[in-house]
Amino acid sequence: MAEITSQEEKQKLVKAYTAMVLSRTLDKKIVNAQRQGRVGFYTPTIGQEALQIGAAMALEENDLIYGYYRDVPLMISRGVPIDLIINQIMGNSADISKGRQMPSHYGSRKHNFMSIQSPVATNLPLAVGAAYSLKYRKKKNIVLTTFGEGSTSTPDFHAAMNMAAVYNLPVIFLCENNGWAISLPVEKQTKVDIWKKADAYGMPGTRVNGNDILETYAAVRTAAKNAREGKGPTLIDAISFRMGPHSTSDDPTKYRSESVPEGSEKDPLTIAEAALKALKLMDDKMLESIKQKTVKIVDDKFDECEKIPPPNPVTAFEQVYSEQTWMLKEEVGDIL
Amino acid sequence: MVQAINQALSQNMEKDDSVVVLGEDVGVDGGVFRVTDGLLSKYGPERVIDTPLVELGIIGMGIGMALNGMRPVAEIQFQDFIYTAMDQIINQAAKIRYRSGGEYTAPIIIRTPYGGGIKGGLYHSQSGETYFVHTAGLVVVTPSGPYDAKGLLNSAFKSQDPIVFLEPKRLYRSIKEEVPDDMYMVPLGKAKLLNEGDDLSIITYGSMVPTVIDTVKKNKISADVLDLRTLLPLDLEAILKTVEKTGRVIIVHEAPRTLGMGAEISAVISERRIDYLQAPILRVTGPDSPFPYRLEDYYIPNEKRIMKAVSKILEYR
Ligand SMILES: Cc1ncc(C[n+]2csc(CCOP(=O)(O)OP(=O)(O)O)c2C)c(N)n1
Repeated sequence: MAEITSQEEKQKLVKAYTAMVLSRTLDKKIVNAQRQGRVGFYTPTIGQEALQIGAAMALEENDLIYGYYRDVPLMISRGVPIDLIINQIMGNSADISKGRQMPSHYGSRKHNFMSIQSPVATNLPLAVGAAYSLKYRKKKNIVLTTFGEGSTSTPDFHAAMNMAAVYNLPVIFLCENNGWAISLPVEKQTKVDIWKKADAYGMPGTRVNGNDILETYAAVRTAAKNAREGKGPTLIDAISFRMGPHSTSDDPTKYRSESVPEGSEKDPLTIAEAALKALKLMDDKMLESIKQKTVKIVDDKFDECEKIPPPNPVTAFEQVYSEQTWMLKEEVGDIL
Repeated sequence: MVQAINQALSQNMEKDDSVVVLGEDVGVDGGVFRVTDGLLSKYGPERVIDTPLVELGIIGMGIGMALNGMRPVAEIQFQDFIYTAMDQIINQAAKIRYRSGGEYTAPIIIRTPYGGGIKGGLYHSQSGETYFVHTAGLVVVTPSGPYDAKGLLNSAFKSQDPIVFLEPKRLYRSIKEEVPDDMYMVPLGKAKLLNEGDDLSIITYGSMVPTVIDTVKKNKISADVLDLRTLLPLDLEAILKTVEKTGRVIIVHEAPRTLGMGAEISAVISERRIDYLQAPILRVTGPDSPFPYRLEDYYIPNEKRIMKAVSKILEYR
């Protein structure tokens, strides 16, 4: 386990753990609600809390994030309120994008969290462009971009890695290597370890235990320091495990038998709890009390958000352009 | 429809060992819509290929197989994700016969679910047929039910050209039809008159066919309903015939209006049969906007909108 020593870092860890519990609790709530027909669809994030929140611990507020659809913990640790997430999942009138996007496709400019797309890895080249603009404006901020290991097979991954290295840009590629791309295990996705790919592009690549929050934190901290100092991009291969199904539409029993049960020794929450106890920052009682309080917070917020009405139909056809086209005006007139 | 397509794939694999299936999650998982379910256990991993996550590679590799005597069926999980492979489709598949002076052909079948109605939002609902129809060298097919799906796919296996086979995903499990066990053919390039009437013609295809038929039946409209089935090349004869008969035409599709199939069909008709037209050709289509999640029912053309067009066109004097 990586070391943390300063008081500031210890405080960060406590905060990070709270975020882990909050995202785990919210995740379970949404999955249950989906089963009850209260939510249409969802991509569970269970198991990937440590690597996302560990990464966030190493970032500054004005760093930019180009994430993907399994990043609820990352959002939470960036201070995104959970009602923003729940409203997106519900697609209600309080949702930033007015229910336009499928659940799990959040975003919040205020939190420097770019709105999420479905086509995997298409966020990566954007992150590179964002990093270029930061460098161009001589800002000290950096970009974090996330993706699953399956996404490393795409042309977008190649383009982004290559260009980030060529222009020596302040961007961190965080691969959330949960072992599975829907039904395809990582061994069938690629012949080499993900972190080794970095070498081919001319940037450092590291592998970490992504279920260990302090290990991920340490790796991202180093990568972030390098990026801020003008030393260019890093690829981090955060090894984890997708503890849930790919999505609420997926049945993993069709293709895998292995599992990491909640509370087992590989569960990122278990590892974080051990660290907190070893550092004497918390004891069992405190951990338990955080968990219980969080359930109530999530339940209440969820009920509150569920009462919010659906968006006004006109909003489905707004914000396509800065000004609505004559075609769309005509079409909307016919529809409504 | 899922079962019918599965059967067509299986029977063609059984008969011809040059047929292989490749795509994301098509093997062990049986496809995210279960279209390739059971094929892996019957034909093995050499012929039912679970690929890495790269559409460009799936289609490019498929084209390479097709150039060398194989009959690949590439599945793209959602049509919305096909775009990184467009270079291979447009610049390779569609142009190989032409550029090689006919020495090479690339008879790949690209199967992909398209259209909305499953609460998929922006990226799991697109109807991108125009992108393909705008590319000479491709054959673009879309069935509207299980019977046609199997028959058209059987014909696709006989074609020497690259086929884009668009499967209307919201009809995957909603339409039940008798599907014969044998390997019957439904010809490519031929539309089908699904309903006969005298007052107007509704030309449609794919995902909108059941909505149009239901609307016509429920409202007792005397209309020809033409299911195009193949979008490229169009069945000119069938289109002109129904226009000559009724002189009033509505085109219905889910894809956005601008440069959608309706635009081409309308041009083809007005160039050739303007004298037969008794009213302007009308289009009932998806709007020129991305496809929304929560409010998707407002996007897809429905009975109300079709009836509005029907009244308008019948009242036109
Ligand atoms: C370009 C593209 N192709 C296919 C899909 C369908 N799809 C959604 S998620 C997924 C697997 C992604 O796996 P990975 O990148 O490892 O991320 P994970 O879902 O495991 O977090 C696939 C194939 C997609 N979203 N985008």
